[in-house]
Amino acid sequence: MKNRGGGSAFKIAAFLLPVGVLFAAFFLYPFVFTLFASLTRWRGIGAMRFIGLGNFGRLLGDPTFRLAIRNNVTWALAAGFIQVPLAALVAILLARRPRGWKVLRTVYFLPNVISTVALAMVWSALYNPQYGFFNGLLKLAGFEARNFLGDPSTALLSVIISSVLYIGYFMIILLAAAMNIPQELYEAAKIDGASAFQQEFLITVPMLRGTLVTSITLAMAYGMRHFEATYLMTGGGPAYATTTMGIDLFLKMDALRYSEASAAGVILILLGTVVIVAIRKILGNKDPMSEAGQ
Amino acid sequence: MKKSRSTGGFRVGAALAVLLKWIVLAFFLAVAVLPLLWLVLNSFKTNLEIQSSPFSLPEKPGFINYVNAMAMADLPRLFLNSVIVAVGTVFLNLLASSMAGFVLAREAWKGRETVRTVLEAGVLVPILAFMVPYFTLVTRLGLYDKLFTLVLVYAAINVPVSIFLVTSFMRAIPKEMEEAAIIDGCSFVQRFTKVVLPLSRSGLVTAGTFCFIYAWNEFLMAMLLTSSISARTIQLGIRFFTSQFITDYAGMFAAIVLSILPSVLAYVFLHNKIIAGLTAGAVKG
Repeated sequence: MKNRGGGSAFKIAAFLLPVGVLFAAFFLYPFVFTLFASLTRWRGIGAMRFIGLGNFGRLLGDPTFRLAIRNNVTWALAAGFIQVPLAALVAILLARRPRGWKVLRTVYFLPNVISTVALAMVWSALYNPQYGFFNGLLKLAGFEARNFLGDPSTALLSVIISSVLYIGYFMIILLAAAMNIPQELYEAAKIDGASAFQQEFLITVPMLRGTLVTSITLAMAYGMRHFEATYLMTGGGPAYATTTMGIDLFLKMDALRYSEASAAGVILILLGTVVIVAIRKILGNKDPMSEAGQ
Repeated sequence: MKKSRSTGGFRVGAALAVLLKWIVLAFFLAVAVLPLLWLVLNSFKTNLEIQSSPFSLPEKPGFINYVNAMAMADLPRLFLNSVIVAVGTVFLNLLASSMAGFVLAREAWKGRETVRTVLEAGVLVPILAFMVPYFTLVTRLGLYDKLFTLVLVYAAINVPVSIFLVTSFMRAIPKEMEEAAIIDGCSFVQRFTKVVLPLSRSGLVTAGTFCFIYAWNEFLMAMLLTSSISARTIQLGIRFFTSQFITDYAGMFAAIVLSILPSVLAYVFLHNKIIAGLTAGAVKG
């Protein structure tokens, strides 16, 4: 009688099966396959020939791929140390519940539900040398029009700006954490004569530390895998100025250089993991909220 | 004298801080909204107006650009494809995730925590590193250039997020609810369909919304795994609009506006669920 309504091993396995198949086919198998294919010489047809670490040596010696790594690091730094601090600033302001804060929170996140394709096309149009918004402003101010995305000296910066100013995702995470801070802390500080500014710096920021580290880690991990907006706005150009590891991988795959593309994938996964581990080591993941027993 | 001057200084400082606060909030409001407003505005202009006066309002706003876009670019077909893929993804993902979530949250068995951790760790995997195996797997299985393939891939990619959301919702259901159902003679499957599933509806809606928005917006895998109009999605459609109609910017802007409507509408109606889902992840850290 004990097991009435309970699951036998068979029933439990049956319920896990659909997720198991999807996860095995699109997470576990690709992971093992990528590791394996990166050690071979293979162009998609015929047998894979084991060649050891040759693909990695070739990739790391390739100036384009090294530039791609450098650009991904730039993206990671911009996301972690510009996007997240801006998101934290807005979250701290909204946590005081100014008039309309709920509407603002909702609108700040709106761009995050719009496809990168649409946003990239809009930003390409905004940067357009003939009819774009920014060149309209430049012309009004009496300057010459610029080809922001076509000029190697401004292309990377232009794409990064179009992306890091969308703070919605990290703002929502940080705002939720900021609103979880016990109100008594602020009241005690007020009695001790702390100004609003001091309260934010001495209470909010330290209490947000754990969530900030998580946000910076996530943002940098996303920066290391950045692909879409750049691919859509510049295709990695001009002259590879904006290329990233993902774009390099895609172009290698397009050229049927499957094993080198796989090696690029391994490096992408590896560097992403290194960033996650390193940031948590450097910044520490001590979370005052979890210490307070929350 | 001295006292009043210092309070005066304090007042100026406080007023300045309030002003700065609203400047910051207004700036990010502009960043979020202005590009989209500019897009909508341009979708109602003529091509000549777009080229000659980027800041002006449309002279005779009309839906001619929208009519042109719908007529010219296989747009209705691509739109329909996207609807099929997004709805299919939500259905398949929720079916699989809720079944697995049920045994992960409501049954005790050996290895459960390991399985849950491995599934949830999938969030950290950069999917774009898997372009080669996804492509070769799909072509070998004869699934290249099929709408169903995108459903399969998108449902799989969303498994980690959905498992996290659904499992944490199902865990919060009080044990007594199920115990009462068992006494009433509910079987294992009925516990799932009659008790746990209805009680975790809120979590399923959140997970489903994330799936829908992801499937609607995804670009890379759609580009990689499809090639013909019968299997391509709206994102590819607007992406390649430029090469098709190099001069018709107004039509292109109208097509983009149409393409973002479904996810914007989903957000308008379900933003509370989305924000709750994001913060559920944040609290866990």
